[in-house]
Amino acid sequence: MNRNFTSVTKIYNSNEATFYRIVENGVTSSVPLDEANTDYQAIQEWIADGGTVIDNGGGE
Amino acid sequence: MAYIGRGTDKISNVEVLDNITFDGSSSYTLQKNSVNFTPSSANTLLLSIDGVVQAGNFTVSGSTIDFGTAVAGTSTCDFVLHYGVGLITAPSDGSVTEAKIGTGAVTSSKLASGAVPNQSAFKNIVINGSMDIAQRSTSVTGITNGSSGYHTVDRFQFAESGSPSAVFTQSQSTDVPTGQGFAKSLKMDCTTAQGSLGAGDLIRIRTTFEGQNLQYLKKGTSSAESLTMSFWVKSSKTGTYICQLLDKDNSRSISKSYTISSADTWEKKTITYDGDTTGAFTNDNGSSLQVIWWLGAGSGSSSGTLQTSWGATTTADTAVGQVNFADSTSNDWYITGVQLEAGTSASDFEFLPVDVNLNRCQRYYYKSYGQGSGTVPLTSSGWIGSRHAIAYNTTNLGMDVRYPAPMRSSPTVTIYHQDGSSANVYEIVTGGKKAVTGIQYGNDSGFWNITASAVFTTNAHYYFQIVAISEL
Repeated sequence: MNRNFTSVTKIYNSNEATFYRIVENGVTSSVPLDEANTDYQAIQEWIADGGTVIDNGGGE
Repeated sequence: MAYIGRGTDKISNVEVLDNITFDGSSSYTLQKNSVNFTPSSANTLLLSIDGVVQAGNFTVSGSTIDFGTAVAGTSTCDFVLHYGVGLITAPSDGSVTEAKIGTGAVTSSKLASGAVPNQSAFKNIVINGSMDIAQRSTSVTGITNGSSGYHTVDRFQFAESGSPSAVFTQSQSTDVPTGQGFAKSLKMDCTTAQGSLGAGDLIRIRTTFEGQNLQYLKKGTSSAESLTMSFWVKSSKTGTYICQLLDKDNSRSISKSYTISSADTWEKKTITYDGDTTGAFTNDNGSSLQVIWWLGAGSGSSSGTLQTSWGATTTADTAVGQVNFADSTSNDWYITGVQLEAGTSASDFEFLPVDVNLNRCQRYYYKSYGQGSGTVPLTSSGWIGSRHAIAYNTTNLGMDVRYPAPMRSSPTVTIYHQDGSSANVYEIVTGGKKAVTGIQYGNDSGFWNITASAVFTTNAHYYFQIVAISEL
């Protein structure tokens, strides 16, 4: 079952992506860029299914 | 006249040797059952020649008896008895009692390999099989389509698929089998029934294990270990249920059925699965093996023939015969005492201290607030254990958050304000609520920074709580 994220934002520090910020069921969490993390895996599936990550390249 | 009574070879330590065939020599080889026999001494031998008992008129050396003079080949040996030292006659089967064995006399070197299986520490592959740990909550209602995930008891996940309309309450229950030592069970209570499942509907409870903890099973080799699953189960819905092992690394599975015979009665089930000589578990921290207890299976997963041997997973063969537990709001299903171990027999359940059990669960889920505080918003008691940080500029909070156990991977982290809102922290003194962006400099051991968009007050102190999740 694919997850139903409200939003997924890629967060940068010093122009280097450091984690995803997800909002799901009203809760905001930080997902590390770790392939072993199941939330990270779910984000990749969500992207593959057409989900769009908010990615300003560190310009926020 | 023949002697009437017990044979001499049945009395005490007397052994009957082979009769000697004389040939005119003075010395002969003593034998028992055609095997050379060495008596304790000449004095422990009694023999008869031509009806005359011989004693003390011969010597022995090793297995040779020497009469000191030729014994005519016409002479007949009537018997040769040996009165040995100690008990030689083998005790009859089942006659050695516990009292006859000295305390501490049985050493590990006398046990054959595998004679006492499954006795190693942490023999149970299942974490929290006693259902004692429920960090998230002790009861969650409304579990239905879209609710796959961990809700109450740690490490045990509700997993649906398709579009089931049935609704459940999952809880950590104190209903347990009497006299077995368990205090908690996992309960599934059907609160909205679904009389007929859609073809793709699946309703399951499952628990998952890391491959690096399973290497000793030698899966994928000719020495692959069998696995034995044991658990206590109780349900108001009798009939056939399926317990499946799923090899996630190689998409292989095996399913076995168990029967709930009596409604609302605790029953212990033991299921043995053959070792799988195909497909090794990957030696890493990823999901390798899953145990799945089926509660409902649409035709898509039950229309074939139950796959009772390891093989490539065939969906239609995974849950054949499974009853529909969701067909009545009267249905409850409880489980506890779950143990999966190497070997073909189930040993006693391995009870662990609660702190050990909790620590093992914290590898996958950790919350900074107290175990008695199951939900946010945080209560005053739950606020104990909050994390503390100091802003070193307007965009960064510096701290040292360490998890109590190394987590399976870098976890997903949620920061909570004391009012229960996520992605906010509480500013001490001013009471301000400050929105944060996320965490930084984190790994499986902890993290060292919280970031924000220029909302912090430099040198101000902040409180917050965290939940870190690295589930399989």
